[in-house]
Amino acid sequence: MIAIAILIGCILGALIGVHAPTISYTYSGYLAIAIVAALDSVFGGITSVLKRNFDLKIFISGFFGNAILSIMLTWLGIKLNVDIYLAAIVVFVGRMFINLAIIRRYYIEKWSKKDEAKKETLG
Amino acid sequence: MKGKITITITIGLICFILTAVMFIQFKTINQTDITSLENMREDELRAEIAKFKTKYEETIVKYEEIVEKQEEYQNTINTDTEASELLDQELKQVKDLLGYNEVKGSGIIITLTDTDKQKIVAEDVILLLNELKLAGAEAISINDQRIVYNSYAADIDNKYISVTGVRLVSPYIVKAIGNRNIFRKWSF
Repeated sequence: MIAIAILIGCILGALIGVHAPTISYTYSGYLAIAIVAALDSVFGGITSVLKRNFDLKIFISGFFGNAILSIMLTWLGIKLNVDIYLAAIVVFVGRMFINLAIIRRYYIEKWSKKDEAKKETLG
Repeated sequence: MKGKITITITIGLICFILTAVMFIQFKTINQTDITSLENMREDELRAEIAKFKTKYEETIVKYEEIVEKQEEYQNTINTDTEASELLDQELKQVKDLLGYNEVKGSGIIITLTDTDKQKIVAEDVILLLNELKLAGAEAISINDQRIVYNSYAADIDNKYISVTGVRLVSPYIVKAIGNRNIFRKWSF
């Protein structure tokens, strides 16, 4: 059911996004950093689902909070003449890799357990 | 059950927002001409300005070089004009000497007339002409016949004097242009 919701959400989002008006190039930098933050939140959410400690409130607040915070940090970085958005990208992408590793391990372990169980039944 | 539906709807919504924003971003990046000036980032613009500054300075240096060259050419033209003026002057002098030019100026007019007692002969004329030349005459003429470097005078039948092939009779009007004071001091 959740998978169907994700699929429908993605398809609808793609359709709307393609037909939506474009934004100014000046602000696309902010939008890009917000997208990276949101992606990080999504992978974090998936990890927490696998770890069975998923909390909707934390997920939603992380999704929007991280996006807004990263936009504000980028803006602050431009005002301070420091590329803060680089730090944000490093943190978010690093966390994304960690979460992806956790997800990968989870599924590999699940799959190998299944394999062993099969062998045991055969033996 | 209710909680699960909320979670499902929320996750779907989140996915919807995320993909929508991502596709908007894709479209923006695709459609934007990065090379156009309005879409450049600040550091790119700065680099561009620096480039233009260097170009501007180079152009100024080139401009100054060209101006210098132009001045040089102008000087050369002036010198050439001076040279040609000098040549013109020389040419005029040479033409004066050769009798190609009408010469105007102060000088003396000597009239030699045959009398009953004495007849003017070519020798007299030659003598007079030589004296005038020695006195520094720039131009001499007899009866409007210019005397130049290869002129000659000769008697013909004791009637005429042939000056460079032109027959002249008395009175002989000798006109000489030169320094009048020297002519006066010279005793003819």
